[in-house]
Amino acid sequence: VSKGPVPVVPAEPKFTIPECFSHLSMAKRIPITQADKDVHPTVLALGQQMATFTIDESITRLKATLLAFKKVINSYTTPPGNTLARHLTPHVLNPQIDYLTACRPMCFSMGNAIRWLKLQVSKIDPDVPEAEAKKQLCSSIDTFIQERISMADLVITEKTSEKIQNHDVILTFGRSTLVEQVLLQAYTIAQRKFTVIVLDDPYERKGQTLAKNLTAAGLRVSYCGDFGGLRYYLQSVTKVIVAAESMFNNGSMYARSGTCDLAIAAKQLDLPVIVLCETVNITERVSTDSLTYNEIDPERSSSASFRLLYDTTPDKYLSLIISELGTVQPTSVPDLLRKLEESN
Amino acid sequence: MAPPKGGYAPDLDKFLDTLKSRPVDASVEFLISLLKRRQIRGSESCAIATAHILLQVVAKDKWSDVDQLIGRVQLVGRKLVTAQPHELVIGNIVKRVLGLIRDEASEDRNDTGSDSPTDRTPTLPPAIEPIPLSKQTRLPSLVALGSFARTQSMFNLLSDPDFVPSPGSTPKLGSGASTPQGYPQSTNIHALRSEVIDGIEEIMDEIRQVDEQVQAYAEIVIHPGDYVLVHQPSRTVQKFLLRAASKRKFTVFLVVDPSAASTEDDPYSSLRKSLSSSGSTVVNIMNVGLMAYMSKVNKVILGARAITKKGGVIVDSGAAVIARAAREQGRTVIVLGGVYKLSPDSRFHHEGLVEWGDPSKYVNFADGEMVGQVRVRNAIAEFIPTDLVNTYITNL
Repeated sequence: VSKGPVPVVPAEPKFTIPECFSHLSMAKRIPITQADKDVHPTVLALGQQMATFTIDESITRLKATLLAFKKVINSYTTPPGNTLARHLTPHVLNPQIDYLTACRPMCFSMGNAIRWLKLQVSKIDPDVPEAEAKKQLCSSIDTFIQERISMADLVITEKTSEKIQNHDVILTFGRSTLVEQVLLQAYTIAQRKFTVIVLDDPYERKGQTLAKNLTAAGLRVSYCGDFGGLRYYLQSVTKVIVAAESMFNNGSMYARSGTCDLAIAAKQLDLPVIVLCETVNITERVSTDSLTYNEIDPERSSSASFRLLYDTTPDKYLSLIISELGTVQPTSVPDLLRKLEESN
Repeated sequence: MAPPKGGYAPDLDKFLDTLKSRPVDASVEFLISLLKRRQIRGSESCAIATAHILLQVVAKDKWSDVDQLIGRVQLVGRKLVTAQPHELVIGNIVKRVLGLIRDEASEDRNDTGSDSPTDRTPTLPPAIEPIPLSKQTRLPSLVALGSFARTQSMFNLLSDPDFVPSPGSTPKLGSGASTPQGYPQSTNIHALRSEVIDGIEEIMDEIRQVDEQVQAYAEIVIHPGDYVLVHQPSRTVQKFLLRAASKRKFTVFLVVDPSAASTEDDPYSSLRKSLSSSGSTVVNIMNVGLMAYMSKVNKVILGARAITKKGGVIVDSGAAVIARAAREQGRTVIVLGGVYKLSPDSRFHHEGLVEWGDPSKYVNFADGEMVGQVRVRNAIAEFIPTDLVNTYITNL
C-alpha cells in the first residue's frame, strides 16, 4: 500500500494486445517511484534489470533473485510482537515478489525457488533468536544456489560434453550460457574435434555473441541469422543441442520461440535433439500448446506488430533431457520430479 | 554493361522504357546485367522482362526462316537463364515463346493458319483445380501434336521444348543458319512475325491478369473468423486477402522480413489500412519460428516464386519452416501462383536447395570478429517439398 502522492502514469500498455493473445502476460517497466515502499533497493534494481531483459535467462534470473532475497533477509528486523516465521513472508517477501512479478512475469524456476524459500521461513522455530534464524536462512539459500544451480550446471556440462564426439556437427539456437559452457568444455577440456552451427533469432541476435565466444576459443563456427534454409543446414548436422527455459510435467519443453520449429525439422531428419535443463526449471504444470504459457515481447510489440518470446515443444520432437539428476527421455520428466521430492 | 541512367539504380520500368530506343543486343545485355545484379527480381518482374525482350527479338531481329528465329530465341533465352538461374520463370517464358513459334510455324505448314485461335485465354474453371501432376510426363513435341497444340495449355508448358523428334530441327547455340530445314520456308514471314508477337503479348496479358484471376478463389478459401497466416505477402497474396476482406472479417498474421522489421515504417501499412477498414485485423508477427502460433492459425497462404515439375514450391526464405509447422499441426497450406510460374525444371528436386544471398543482412561487415572468423550464410529463397502443400491456386 503506497502512501503519499504518486504520479499517475497510465498502467495501460502503449498498444492493444490482439484479442486472441490477451491472456498472456508481458514485462513492463514500472517507474521506481511507483513501486511499493517496502521493496528493497537491491530488488528495485533487479526488477528494472529483468524488465529491460538485461537479466534474461531463467537460471540467471533465479540466482539474482535469491541473492537479492539474501540481502532482504539480512536487512530485516522483526517488529516487536511478531515472529520472523510469521512476519517475514507476508510483510517483507511478498512485496518484493509482487514487484518482481510486475516487472516481468516470473519464470518457473523462480516460482519453484520462492515456494521453497517460503517453506524454509515457515519452518523456523519461533524460539530461535533472530540473528540465528537469518543466518540459517541465508546459509540454506547459499546451499540451494550451490546445489541446484552451480553444481547442476557443472554436472550437466560434464555429461553433455561427453556426448560430443569427434567430427560431430553441433547445431544450437540463439545463446544459452549452459550450451556455451558445454561446447567450450568439449573443445578445450575434452579435446573433441567438432564444428558448430549457430542458428539465430534475427530479432535478438544473441547467437552472434555465442559465435564470437566460440571462435575466440578456436572452434569453427557457421552462423545463420534466421530459419531460411534450415533444412539445408540440418543435412550436415549430427546433433542439435538446446537449453530449455523450463520443462513441463508432460515432457514438453518451454524454450525460446523457434526452438519447436528447429526440433521438428531435426526430428524429420532423425537427428537427436538434446535438451539441457536444470531440475529447478522443471514445473509440475502441463502444457500442450504454446499459447497456454507464454510471454509477450514488450520491446518488439507495438500497435502493429506482435512477438512471442517462447514456444512449447511437444515431447515427441525431443530425444534426451540432460539434467543434474540424470539423463532421461522427455516422457520421464515426472520421474525427475519424483526423485527431487525423495531427496528433499 | 549498360550504365544506369539518371544516376540511380535501374529497375524493370527503366528497362522497359529503354527497350524501344536501343538495339536488341544492347537490350539483351542490359537485361542480363540487371538480372545478375538482381535489380530486376521477383518472378513477375522477371517474367515480364523476359517476355518483353523476346518480343523485341522477334520484332526487330532479322530472320528469314523459323529455324533462325528459334535459334535466336534459344540463344537469348539461354543467356537470360544463365544470368539468373534461380528465377525459373525466365526459362518458363522462353519455353512458352519457343512453343508459340513452333506452334505457329506448324500451323503454317499444315495450312491451318487461317483459323487463328480464339480460345487462347482460358476461362476460369468452376473450382480450384490442383495441378495435374500426373500429366507431367514428357509429352510429344508440339510438332507432333500438330495444329491442336495450344501453347497456353499446361501440357505444352510442361513438355520439353528442346525435345524435338528427329529429323526435326534442333538448332544449336547460335547456329540457326546451318541447321537442316525442319520447317518449311514460310512464305509469309510477316504473318508469322505478327502471329508470334500477338502470342507474346497474350502471354504478357496473362501474367498481368494472374492476380485478378487467382483472387477469384479468395472467398472460397478464407472463411469468416479465420486466422490466416501469410509470409512476406507478394502482391498476389495481398490482393487475395483484400478480396476476401471485402466479403468477410478475419484475422491475418503477417510474418514480416526480420531485417525490414527493425525500421520504423511498416511496408504493409497500406494493406493493413485497407484490411482494417473492412473490419479485418492484421497483426505483424515478429517471430521466425511460427509453431507457437499454429494452434491458432486456420490456414497458411504462401506466394510461390516458382513451382517445379513435381509440385515443390520455391518460396522466399523463411516460408519453409512455416509450411513444416503447419503440416505438423495439421493446418492447410495454400500456395498461390500463376501458371507461368510452373516450371518443368527438375533441378530443384533436391530438397533444401537454397538460393544464397547477401550475408550482411544480419551481420555487419564492420563486425570484424564475425566477418573474419565465422562463416555467415543467408538464404533468400528455399524449397518446400510437395508433401507440405495442400492446395495450389493458379489462374488456370
